[in-house]
Amino acid sequence: MNKNWLKQNTFHYSEFKDIDRLVKEKTRKNLSIALCLPTLNEEKTIAKEILIMKSELMTRYPLLDELIVIDSGSTDNTRKIAEDYGAEVYKADDILPNLEVFKGKGENLWKALYVTKSDIIVYLDADIKNIHHRFVYALVGPLLLSDNIKFSKAFYDRPIATGKSKIRPTGGGRVTELVIRPMFSLFFPELTQIMQPLSGEYAGFREIFEKIPFPIGYGVETSMILDIYEKWGLDVMAQVDLVKRIHRNQDTKALGRMAFIILKTFCNRIEKLGLVNINRDLFNKMIQYNLVKNEYQPDIFKIEGVERPPIVEIAEYREKFNIQDL
Amino acid sequence: MQKSQTVQVTNMDTYIDQLPAFAETIKSIKEIIIANIVFIGQVPSPTFKEKKRTSIFMERLSEAQVDECTTDGYRNPIGIISGTSKTKPPIFIVAHLDTHFSRDVDHNFTVKEDAIIGAGILDNSVGVGVLASLPEIFRKLDLRFESDIVLAGVIQSLGKGNLRGVRHLLKTWSTPIRGALCIEGGEIGRLNYYSDGMIRAEIDCTMSTNSRWEQRFRPNAILILNEVINQILKLRLPQRPRARVIFGKISGGYKHGIIAYDAKLGFEIQSDSDKMVKTIYNDIQDIINGISHENSVGLTMKTISNLRPSKLRYNHPLIKNTTAVMEKLDIKPISEPSESELSIFLSRKIPAITLGITHGENYHLENAKMEIEPMFKGIAHIIGVIMAIDRGVCDE
Repeated sequence: MNKNWLKQNTFHYSEFKDIDRLVKEKTRKNLSIALCLPTLNEEKTIAKEILIMKSELMTRYPLLDELIVIDSGSTDNTRKIAEDYGAEVYKADDILPNLEVFKGKGENLWKALYVTKSDIIVYLDADIKNIHHRFVYALVGPLLLSDNIKFSKAFYDRPIATGKSKIRPTGGGRVTELVIRPMFSLFFPELTQIMQPLSGEYAGFREIFEKIPFPIGYGVETSMILDIYEKWGLDVMAQVDLVKRIHRNQDTKALGRMAFIILKTFCNRIEKLGLVNINRDLFNKMIQYNLVKNEYQPDIFKIEGVERPPIVEIAEYREKFNIQDL
Repeated sequence: MQKSQTVQVTNMDTYIDQLPAFAETIKSIKEIIIANIVFIGQVPSPTFKEKKRTSIFMERLSEAQVDECTTDGYRNPIGIISGTSKTKPPIFIVAHLDTHFSRDVDHNFTVKEDAIIGAGILDNSVGVGVLASLPEIFRKLDLRFESDIVLAGVIQSLGKGNLRGVRHLLKTWSTPIRGALCIEGGEIGRLNYYSDGMIRAEIDCTMSTNSRWEQRFRPNAILILNEVINQILKLRLPQRPRARVIFGKISGGYKHGIIAYDAKLGFEIQSDSDKMVKTIYNDIQDIINGISHENSVGLTMKTISNLRPSKLRYNHPLIKNTTAVMEKLDIKPISEPSESELSIFLSRKIPAITLGITHGENYHLENAKMEIEPMFKGIAHIIGVIMAIDRGVCDE
């Protein structure tokens, strides 16, 4: 196990505060950067994310070249607000229309690779209440200033907004601690050095993202880490402390469903890698129970576990980016 | 940076005519202005605990490349944009940094298509955010001024702060000041140019916990304060000079079934006559002494802050020009007294007014809401007034 990784590849956002330096490095290396926000009914938070990134990283400092929103079919005003504040907005279903349509965050991230042109893609969840431009510049910092790092991941304290305008100072990360970390400890101890493998904020080079598959749903973060680790090793990854991210707390049942998807993705990966042999197909239903009028009734949550192939294998993508051979 | 229009300041009308176009140009950098409001406003800043907001405010000013960015001896953050003249005194633009909300209240704002919602947004995160955006706005409008422009976020303004920040800033500022503009989140259209005399005070009623009475016969602090209020209401306040007593805060008691052993009443005496304020204050002191004696309870009155009345005359060129600026932008001026930073400027004979930036609702609630669209006109009229002062309307 490479124990030095934690020391060498863990950064604090303040190390990249000199945005001017990042812009110069970007220009010197002739790189471009896109920010992608996957959305589904995010009208409460989307405007703030867009305007802060535009103001700080496009108008003040030309660090970002593209700012796109890929929407899964919001029924609120998310798309209109995003357009009003100047983002390029796409409906996921309209991208690569010849392919079968799926819904999910991973699907949006995968399709973002097709609609953006930039060399580096930054993915941020669109529900960050305390959004700050450090969420972007700190993630691209290691990619621009190092020649080896190709993928960077955020970690932070996770205060929980508990409603009624109050914030509880600590908490969160339950799926990480109860599911992912035990699994990493069992199969990939090196990866336990990644503080928050499930964080929804990460950045990487197109050359990495285009060569890995994307599960369409919650499993995308888990599979991404496992695939990058398997193909290029831990040293191409970095993690950046973004200090604090305020998010809406999810109830235990919702986290249970998330854990189910992540475990399924994990099991598929470790089987594919030959680390375990699962002698039967895994079920694709998460079953939870509710007590209704003194009777327990099952609440069944079905997950197909669809995965998009590496986008470089898609003909339209190869044509757009003029890629001849795989 | 793109230059939209160069202002040749030759006469009053030429610059006033440009103001509607200014509003549009200002709107073109709305993301910078809103980002400043959000960055600064999301940092809690209760009175006496403004340090973090002060740092963010200075960071934003420094990002905007003002010529000088510093704090005065009282830690009021100040940015200075140098003027072209070496002799003209500076123009002050101020907004108070403190808010009514404690640190544990969620200060994260929600930005919508047409509004921003959150604790303290109107009082006064919009004001401070716009203040921090002015250097960028001046650049966008390609404006230079003869006077230095001093952008001051003042601390310790509200309540017990008693305007200490601005008092100290002006007390220690060694050179003359040409004129001043105080900016507040709302309401757009306010044109404050006079301040009433005011005493803000608290009355505390306390019972000894080891009283010789049985609990059920002990006087009730809430009822004692009720009696105080009733007697104050019986005071005959004159129509001229204008005078009023405002009861603004009350608290007390422990739980439903226990006689209240303490209670507190916060109020203000306001009048355009300093003498009348003092007379009413003395009357209230007499009421308190009487009730305290009759009921054998502890009843004390403590002054939190006070101001002397001060005003600009209505036909002062600053008022006339401000009214013209507002009319050009279809803003209807509404004048009321304002007991704020304005009072301190006026009491030092510095021509000053207070203007509001936009419309809003739920002013002092956690879900306070400001409208985005009127803000651009609000900023344009602030720019118009700064230009008027720079052209000499305060140089009598």
